[in-house]
Amino acid sequence: MQNAINRRDLLKLASATFLTLQLPAAEPQAPLYFTKDEFALLDRLTDLIIPADDHSPGAHEAGVAAYIDRTVAEAFLAEEKDSWRKGLAAVNDLTQTTLGKPFLDATKEEQVELLRKMAQNESQPQTEPERFFTQLKQTTAFAYYSSSIGIHQDINYKGNVILQEYVGYWP
Amino acid sequence: MLFQFLENPPEVDLKKTYDAVIVGSGAAGGMAAHVLTSHGLKVLLLEAGKYQDTSSLLHSMEWPYQHPRRGAMPPDYHALTVREYTIRQPPYAENSPYTKVTSYIQRSGMPDFSKTLVVNEKEHPYTGTNYAWVRSRVVGGKTNLWGRLALRLSDYDFKAASRDGYGMDWPISYADLAPYYDKVDLYLGVSGYPEHVPQMPDGKFMRPIKLNYSELHLRKTLQGMGRILTPYRAGVASETLKHNKYRSRCYGRGACSRHVGGCDIHAAFDSTTGLIRPAMDTGNLTLRPNSTVYEVTVDPNTGKATGVSFLDSETRKSYHAKARVVVLAASTLESARLMLLSKSRIYPNGIANSSGHVGHNFCEHVMGPSIVGFMKELVGKPRTLDDGRPGGFYIPRFENLETRNPDFIRGYGFEGGSGCTMIPGTAFTSPGFGEEYKRHVRDYAGAVISMGGFGEVLPRYENYVEIDPDVKDAWGIPVLRFHYRFGENERKMVKNMAVEARRMFEAAGFEITSVKDDMLPEGWSIHELGTARMGNDPKTSVLNQFEQAHDVKNLFVVDGSSFVNASCQNPTWTIMALCWRSCDYLADQLRKGEI
Repeated sequence: MQNAINRRDLLKLASATFLTLQLPAAEPQAPLYFTKDEFALLDRLTDLIIPADDHSPGAHEAGVAAYIDRTVAEAFLAEEKDSWRKGLAAVNDLTQTTLGKPFLDATKEEQVELLRKMAQNESQPQTEPERFFTQLKQTTAFAYYSSSIGIHQDINYKGNVILQEYVGYWP
Repeated sequence: MLFQFLENPPEVDLKKTYDAVIVGSGAAGGMAAHVLTSHGLKVLLLEAGKYQDTSSLLHSMEWPYQHPRRGAMPPDYHALTVREYTIRQPPYAENSPYTKVTSYIQRSGMPDFSKTLVVNEKEHPYTGTNYAWVRSRVVGGKTNLWGRLALRLSDYDFKAASRDGYGMDWPISYADLAPYYDKVDLYLGVSGYPEHVPQMPDGKFMRPIKLNYSELHLRKTLQGMGRILTPYRAGVASETLKHNKYRSRCYGRGACSRHVGGCDIHAAFDSTTGLIRPAMDTGNLTLRPNSTVYEVTVDPNTGKATGVSFLDSETRKSYHAKARVVVLAASTLESARLMLLSKSRIYPNGIANSSGHVGHNFCEHVMGPSIVGFMKELVGKPRTLDDGRPGGFYIPRFENLETRNPDFIRGYGFEGGSGCTMIPGTAFTSPGFGEEYKRHVRDYAGAVISMGGFGEVLPRYENYVEIDPDVKDAWGIPVLRFHYRFGENERKMVKNMAVEARRMFEAAGFEITSVKDDMLPEGWSIHELGTARMGNDPKTSVLNQFEQAHDVKNLFVVDGSSFVNASCQNPTWTIMALCWRSCDYLADQLRKGEI
């Protein structure tokens, strides 16, 4: 019964939340599942997928890597966890083969170029880096667009408010 | 406080004989309880699941980021995927590494809030052909999850056989049922706009929802093609229901579909607050949750039903409830299962099954074809509020009305919607990455319009369920084995749905991003119907026009089992109208001593 905050409280919460409940950018805490290096790579990759622009902050500010870290740490099946570790390793392998250095040591232009290579078969991925890109992008998209920054600052979602009358053009 | 009574029900008196015992508390069981208690009958309502307070469960105000898993179920839960339903055979949860496995319905929205409203597939196996069977064992049944589309059928459905020569007419016509649709509308509330089209009659509507810009544009386009696009007809109290203190007026929060259909203020109809609570207030209804019924018992001398045997779902202890009339409302498939399980010397093939039709003529709606596009004028426009309403739009059937399609018989309708949602679909469909991707997601989020079809699946004797001789559920009760597949008519209809969807979007000038023309697995619509069809001939039907068993006068089956064909319009409102009519008859017959 008493996970029940009552409706009036929730109302107050709902209007106040996006000011108070934003996820903090995640660096200071130790990651739950990933190593520090893996986490740094993950954070960089998600922020390349959804960067800050003149409209709104990006994946880094929205704590996307921290969300993924928590989800993977909790994942029930070992293969779910493994697919992330394998995927991040594949990104570094690809960078080593192409540029002779780890991903995070590459310039931003080089990183974008590598990501573009991974993204080329997005709807039907073939190689391990391609498969990982699709997994990473879909998860990043969900994590970002379900975050406070995504909903309120990027999309500027207008709903989830109380309406006396329905909104629309007709009838 | 109000609901505390439901959480800790008093010990039920099983020594007395009730006027009626009802099995199942969803749309049909709730309606039977409402009508029978309003006639002054003493009623016992048995529900296999628990009582759960959805007012505190569903959290319609919550933002995804306030939930630790953004609304996802705990990691040891798993909701079945299309692929699992397709490449494997049931029982789907067998050998699953997860602790709890649910049907596909828990894949969308914020399913953590509704995870206890659906069954754990591990405890409820079934066998046979592929079937995505969605079940909810809880007080209120699937009305806790339903999509809220509240439509009427017409004589295009009730007299379909006379029109195209396939199957059997219903023993009733629209005129018989219209007064009962009116009663359901007025008692429960339905939002809609009158269109005066014969294939989908208007109801006693409350305040309609509003179409947004692209939907209105599509409506105008379709008018030129002789078709209708109407605001979603929702089984939702869009105005205050003065006679029901358990439900609130819809406040347009738009959370209904974020929680797999749930509404924590009960503006959307659910059986618990719409029917069962008011019925309890009459003093004539006793509800016993946690009661898994496994047999309808009979008097071998009279052939009449004497009551039902059930297990306490938690203690597994067996009980018997006595009643003058037994009313089955356990859902189309569970009621059939119960009839087939109720074998005795006088009913060797199961109760009320001298016709051999119980479990047969099983039908539903086929889904799959869908279209997604966008309205160019809306790309990059400032954000508007598009989803603060219980649904988008509905396009009623237009095939095989006055003209005949050479490829298939019967028809289909489309459900659709458009505009920005809390988490935009474009986040998952926009290509690439980086600033360009991010801008695309944002610019197109409000311009998207999409719809998906629901087509009538023909009833066929050879599509049926039976009792599996070997497999039992977690309570030791034999399970259903499916023999059910879509046929040629459905395959051709589905192709046509995709072609027509494209034609309509092209006519509207929408940019089309995807069109699907393949079928989703059998069962996807959650509209299973027809396993104990009504009819005038006891040799070819199980029930008469009042959903009374031909073979057993004091047995009624008031859920979707009684449908003669599926129509393409969603069934819940018709189930309840039929049930009201049948229960009026039941009460009258009982009073006259005819039962």
